[in-house]
Amino acid sequence: MTDGSAPRRAKLELLVRQPGDDGFEVREVASAPAFVQSRPQRVPPEEYELAVVNSRVGQQRRYILKNRQTDRFLLLSEAERFLWEQMDGATSLQEMATAYVLKYGEFNFEILPALIRKLQHAQLLTMRPASRLRRALARNRRPVAKMLESGFTVLERVVIASRNVQPLFQRLYRWGGFLLFTRVAALACVLLGVAGLVVGVRLWSDAEAVAAGLGTHPVMALLSVKVLFILTLAAHQIVHGLACVHYGRRVREFGFTFLHGFVPTFYVDVTDIFMTSRRARVVTAVSGALVHLVLGSVWFLIAAGSPPGFTQAFAATSGIVQWQAFALALYPFCFIEMDGYHVLVDVLGAPTLKHDALAFVGAILRGHWPAHLTREEGVWIGYVALSTVSIAAFIAFNLWLVISAMA
Amino acid sequence: MTSAADTIAFLRDVRLFRSLGEAELGSLARNLRDVSLKKGQVLVREGEHGDEMFLVRRGVLIVSKAVTGNVEQVLTRLGVGEFFGEMSLFDRAPRSATVQADSDASLLALDRDRLQELIDVNPRAGALLMHALVEVFIERLRASSDLVAEVTRWGLEATGLDFESR
Repeated sequence: MTDGSAPRRAKLELLVRQPGDDGFEVREVASAPAFVQSRPQRVPPEEYELAVVNSRVGQQRRYILKNRQTDRFLLLSEAERFLWEQMDGATSLQEMATAYVLKYGEFNFEILPALIRKLQHAQLLTMRPASRLRRALARNRRPVAKMLESGFTVLERVVIASRNVQPLFQRLYRWGGFLLFTRVAALACVLLGVAGLVVGVRLWSDAEAVAAGLGTHPVMALLSVKVLFILTLAAHQIVHGLACVHYGRRVREFGFTFLHGFVPTFYVDVTDIFMTSRRARVVTAVSGALVHLVLGSVWFLIAAGSPPGFTQAFAATSGIVQWQAFALALYPFCFIEMDGYHVLVDVLGAPTLKHDALAFVGAILRGHWPAHLTREEGVWIGYVALSTVSIAAFIAFNLWLVISAMA
Repeated sequence: MTSAADTIAFLRDVRLFRSLGEAELGSLARNLRDVSLKKGQVLVREGEHGDEMFLVRRGVLIVSKAVTGNVEQVLTRLGVGEFFGEMSLFDRAPRSATVQADSDASLLALDRDRLQELIDVNPRAGALLMHALVEVFIERLRASSDLVAEVTRWGLEATGLDFESR
């Protein structure tokens, strides 16, 4: 018997005991989020074969996937083959859905569950849990690793979020948020950026004197700057949400959590923007990062207008951190899938760039050199090389900043 | 510290003892031991041996069963007037689940020997008690079946397994 409404999703109540039997926490786990966070893994390469079937009539390619253990065959569409390639045990269903939308510009909500069902029936899939770091820590029996894992677990559970944020974002947009998406705002942003850059370069020439203003506690001052910076990440995410509303799409969720249990972060779910134009996606991605450009420039202007001392040093340091965040958010070559990366893969039409690039370079490092490099493979090598160099430069720059401040 | 009269008044409202008369309740009250728990404190652990059952007089307790590592599945919550631990009185097997306080709680403990004494002295009261116990066991059995079905449904939904379309 049915009343026509959707069936209630099952929930489990789990009691998680803290280390040393020091209390416990009860968590309610619904099946739906567990499903979208699951990371399906295809069976090892030696256990399956994939063959292309070119149609003589239509343009569409099809693929035959064979389980070599059971001799079962599956016919896959191009889109299904794409998803099959993502099933590496590291990519969540949510990430696959995003990659799918980036590649095909639309999403069929039934394709993933249907494909998973097919693959499971053909015994071509295993399901594995989350983060690699967490898996490694869980395997490690040393007390320090266990403590770290326990700490991450506790922090990871800190999720303050709401899925009913669309009305709030719509109100924010009506109450002035729309002004951010006008030509005047764009012009003001450019002018502030230029002014901030000019002032920042001038301050840079006198960096030692400015840094001296941090006094006898430079590390504490730098930490304060970082904490203040984390708060501005909320503004970054809010502007993403406003951009989403600007293009008539829905903000699905907004919240705060500790990414992988140790990176404090605000987040906003604007995946609905994938249903619009590339221009809308790019504007939505870039607009959040511009918050750091504006704040960084304002901090630099404050520093320039302040007499030498703590205020000037604090403002200048905050300006540097904000400009770094701006550059980092838009810079696509850093192995982190931030705003710039999403713009890059959107423009290249290569939604799995990082995944493919790392797999390809990994194979090269294991001695599997290709006879001839294709253009795509060249892009992959370029991505990994640029990202590696960029991260090394970023770490070196920050080390130098801290050492300079402490000297 | 609570008086014997308070304890008897409490026992009168406990479903398990509703059939008992005043004399039997008085006798029972004299054989109960007060137990206090702080929030988070574990009272009985799965796998341990025990020879007492407990009545919840105040607070809420969580009954859980080990699943993996430090994760346990919550089987049920027990509130005022409910009881647990009776299985060990009958089958002498290790505790089947862990019970911990979800809030500060006070309980009354009844051990195997005292229960046997009660039954020996007043077989009619013993029979009524057993009848009430069987009723509760049946309810718990039904609840366990529902829980098994719910857990199975959760597993199917979380992994995307679908047998309907097979």
